[in-house]
Amino acid sequence: MKSFLLSLLLCSWSLLACADPAIQVENAWVREAPPGAQMMAAYMTLKNTGSSDVTLENITSPTFRMVMLHKSVIVDGVARMSHQDSLPIPAGTSVALEPGSYHLMMPAPEQRLHSGDLVEFNLQFADGGTVRVQAIVRKKP
Amino acid sequence: MKIRIIPMLLAAVLLSACSPPQPPQLQQGTLLPDAKIIADFQLTDQNGKPFTRKNLMGKWSFTFFGYTHCPDVCPTSLSMLAQVMKKLEQDKTPGAKPQVVFFSVDPERDTPEVLAQYLPYFNPDFIGVTGDPQQILRLTRQLGILYGKSPGESADDYLVDHSASILLFDPDGNFRALFGTPHDPDRIAQDFVAIRNYYEASR
Ligand SMILES: [Cu+2]
Repeated sequence: MKSFLLSLLLCSWSLLACADPAIQVENAWVREAPPGAQMMAAYMTLKNTGSSDVTLENITSPTFRMVMLHKSVIVDGVARMSHQDSLPIPAGTSVALEPGSYHLMMPAPEQRLHSGDLVEFNLQFADGGTVRVQAIVRKKP
Repeated sequence: MKIRIIPMLLAAVLLSACSPPQPPQLQQGTLLPDAKIIADFQLTDQNGKPFTRKNLMGKWSFTFFGYTHCPDVCPTSLSMLAQVMKKLEQDKTPGAKPQVVFFSVDPERDTPEVLAQYLPYFNPDFIGVTGDPQQILRLTRQLGILYGKSPGESADDYLVDHSASILLFDPDGNFRALFGTPHDPDRIAQDFVAIRNYYEASR
């Protein structure tokens, strides 16, 4: 019970690593959407510092009604986004969600987000662990 | 020795002045061996005004085919084109400044109103074009641009697969060169100047 309370306390302190300390999230950001854009994308680097493989299975956010895991690929000059059911992060490796590759894709909220705003994502892993991530909205190519 | 070199140099200069200019070595782009003349098309710009082949004439045009519901590849390409324009800003040669035209391959959702909101974010001069799907197909078919819907999470959430290349049109309104991915603004700006100089020299 004591350790549970302690971890609860730690969780509320640190938004970055919570419940799944093997996963470290770095450089989480959301691309500021142009006016009129209905979709947004978010990026981050997921680092698995543990000794067992983990799989990202689901993402939720209080800001967005839906968060999808996508991958952009360009095959024979044609850009295509494909839905990913999950994203494996083998032990000791890191996976980058970055422009032109893996990304989170969300419908833009009613209230337009601006550069500097903070939004939260909840990453849920196959082993039951979750990681709460704070991402900053940025105007970036 | 000196006396012999001078006439040789002179001959070389004269020879180069007479022979046709050589196509430039490009870093990223592919120059078409012959500019491709395209058939006319009837589309609409973001202000609701007609946009036809004529609007591609009189200046150079960088064109990109995408859709506004695309949050990853399309904004990256449009920001990249905004950077290219910034790099070309210092060039004061008359007629040097190209225009950037974004053709929507999702005319159902990309109305002129949506494009008018969306494009100035990248650069106030960017032109957005949409319209009759048949007319978009008529244009893209001639250019080898491919696109097609792919299902999303729900019926109106569909995605659109689309060619990621940037196409360059010359001031005659002809398709001149193509830039494949990944796009680098420095290289594209330098290639553009090389293509423009070659075009001018060939006239
Ligand atoms: Cu996506």
